[in-house]
Amino acid sequence: MENLINGLKNNRAFAFSSFLVLLLIGIALAAPLLAPYDPLEATMKNAYLPPSSEHLFGTDKLGRDNFSRVLYGASYSLSSVLLLVAVIFAVGTSLGVLAGYFGGKVDTVIMRISDMMISFPGMILAIAIAGIMGGSLINAIIALTIVTWTKYARLARSMVLKIKKRDFVEAAVVNGGKPTHILWKHIVPNILPLMIITAASDIGAMMMELAGLSFLGFGSQPPAPEWGLMLNEGRQQLQTAPWLMFFPGLAIFLTVVVFNLWGDSLRDVLDPRQED
Amino acid sequence: MKKTIKFTAAVAMIGLMAFASAGCGGDDKKAAAAKDTLKFGVTNFADSLEPTDNYFGWIVMRYGLGECLVKFDEKMNSTPWLAENWQVSDDKLTWTFKINDKAKFSNGNKVTAEAVKKSIERTFEKAARARAMFEYDNISADGQTLMIKTHTPVATLPGMLGDPLFIIIDTSVTDRDYAKQGPICTGPYMVNTYSKAKAVMDANPNYWDGEVPFKHVEIPTIDDPNTRAMALQSGEIDMAINIAPGDMSLFSNKDKYNISAIASLRDVLARMNVKEGKPMYDKRVREALLSSLDRETYCKVLLKDTFTSGGPLMPPSVDYGFDQLKDPNTYNVERAKKLLEEAGWKDTNGDGYVDKEGKNLEMDFIFYSGRAELPLFAEATQSDAKKVGIKVNLKNVDYNVLDGIGVRGEYDLLISNILTLQAGDPEVFINQYWKTNVNGNNPQNGSGYSNPAYDALSDKLAVEFDPAKRRQLVIDMQKIILDDAATIIFGYPQTNMISNNSIANAEILPCDYYWLTKEIKPAQK
Repeated sequence: MENLINGLKNNRAFAFSSFLVLLLIGIALAAPLLAPYDPLEATMKNAYLPPSSEHLFGTDKLGRDNFSRVLYGASYSLSSVLLLVAVIFAVGTSLGVLAGYFGGKVDTVIMRISDMMISFPGMILAIAIAGIMGGSLINAIIALTIVTWTKYARLARSMVLKIKKRDFVEAAVVNGGKPTHILWKHIVPNILPLMIITAASDIGAMMMELAGLSFLGFGSQPPAPEWGLMLNEGRQQLQTAPWLMFFPGLAIFLTVVVFNLWGDSLRDVLDPRQED
Repeated sequence: MKKTIKFTAAVAMIGLMAFASAGCGGDDKKAAAAKDTLKFGVTNFADSLEPTDNYFGWIVMRYGLGECLVKFDEKMNSTPWLAENWQVSDDKLTWTFKINDKAKFSNGNKVTAEAVKKSIERTFEKAARARAMFEYDNISADGQTLMIKTHTPVATLPGMLGDPLFIIIDTSVTDRDYAKQGPICTGPYMVNTYSKAKAVMDANPNYWDGEVPFKHVEIPTIDDPNTRAMALQSGEIDMAINIAPGDMSLFSNKDKYNISAIASLRDVLARMNVKEGKPMYDKRVREALLSSLDRETYCKVLLKDTFTSGGPLMPPSVDYGFDQLKDPNTYNVERAKKLLEEAGWKDTNGDGYVDKEGKNLEMDFIFYSGRAELPLFAEATQSDAKKVGIKVNLKNVDYNVLDGIGVRGEYDLLISNILTLQAGDPEVFINQYWKTNVNGNNPQNGSGYSNPAYDALSDKLAVEFDPAKRRQLVIDMQKIILDDAATIIFGYPQTNMISNNSIANAEILPCDYYWLTKEIKPAQK
């Protein structure tokens, strides 16, 4: 926490990208206040209107206001991607820590499952899982969790293995520390910064994958204002109503860039070893 | 306004280029002196050219490879093709076809009545669908005269023989891989190489019915309609089938493109589950739902006039009383609200949806996204139904499970895009979803719909030979469905074929079977 506050004071890149992240989250939260129209309100006679002062981003195939949909999409897409990363982080890290600390059979079982998962191409497996379970946002999150947790598990495990051999851990063991105590007090705090950095820099990538699944029809379902889904809906009018693809695409692009910048500068702040 | 469009388009293009490394279309500078190769962009579902498998015969016919005894004209009347004429005996059991004396297979063999007999027998042997169409006692051949004796009177037999299932092939040739090379047929073109992704074809040197206009034809499969439009724009193909509604305006320049669009024989309709216990068991709820839907706007605005908005079961492209049948449930929101109230549905908890006995009026709307208009109709329905307080839950399913859901009745609304004429006749279509299903004898009717008056008309239709009387029966049946509010007919799609100015006579017919014909020629310059 101290690092973060220092970072905000001293690291201008971090301060700036944090500001942008907060701005994005602010927009997402304030969408109902900012949006001029109801994102689901269809005025079909006004379908496919180009951008104008009345409809800043034009209107879509059902005459819904594209600007309002992109704004609402921010809260929809951001909350789902943050939930996704949180789930992956929690599942992957805890399994990795368990595998690394206890070793033996626990390790073998967890890591062999993880080996199996990474022997498939991730996105294809996610498509298959989401396809079998049926398209919905929750199923897309589950599918992506299943294919992504292994990365966190492997990282957490390798770090735990390294830390386990350090003197302070052995001292704790000799002093009769219980495994839960050692894990919580000595191991987790040491691996947490790196895990958080990984998670933060993953937000962008996860957002793309979630949008990708929605684009393919395996994620959010209509009429939800989700960016990936909006891209897919706009695809059919790529040449005649390009604003339907352009603005959701731009929203995804900006959000991913902002989160990637933030993830990078967060690493600089939390992990001083990497500093020049 | 225009500037904004251009600017947006420009920015979008820059954005796209930044992401994609795809090559540019580029100009087509191959201004050939004499055009001898036609390139035709299509959608294709067939991995094989065996006409008796699945619906693969459609592709054999669409690609100008195979022909039948009978062809359907623009009014869906049966007209001569390989058969010059035909008549039925007085007892309505024996049909006599006179095979065209000029007709030849692409290997030069003459098409005799004997060859036709063998081909039809082969179809019956291999395809269960043929046996479901009619049963014959025997087929006899004498010179160019073919006689088919049926078990029971079959009023529409010539039309059935116009189905691509009955493409006439040379059965004396046995050393061919039908899947990859196709059978020996009588069409203007023959296969050079075929795969689902691309067909390359050459002119048939022995074509019996005039000159073949192109030496070669290449038919790449471009299943995505937007990609197909782009391929046509870039000159990669000369001609494309079914350009999407949203892209039609790209080809409005009459000097460069020729659009041939026609009302197809299809309906986009949603079956309504009217089983007891379902909300739509109550006719007033069905009427309310129908009245809440602004189908005209869907077709005019959302689909840019590429659909005719719906009313009766049969589309305007065929002569089954479209103009005289009146839909009692046209768009009228106030009426819809009133009907719901009469049926006891009221919004008592202020959540925007009407309810009764503590339960909201909810309907599951099953759709698939393989056809672009289906999700659009589904979403439009959801949006319009909400305005009168009906909650529509959209369920996107895979096309392969759709049929099962329909048969088991696991839906409130189920949308599909279906052909109204089978072999030139509406009988199969008009029975399948609405004739009473007694112990599974009409499995496609999973909706529980049953009306004795309708069944009586259907029974009459089964044995009626006179075309005028058949037409009247079909009209009467449609009226019952309209009055019962038993189905949502969203609209009737157009089908189109767009060609660039190097091609002439690329005209589409309402029937889905004919795409590449001998009439399509290089343009005279």
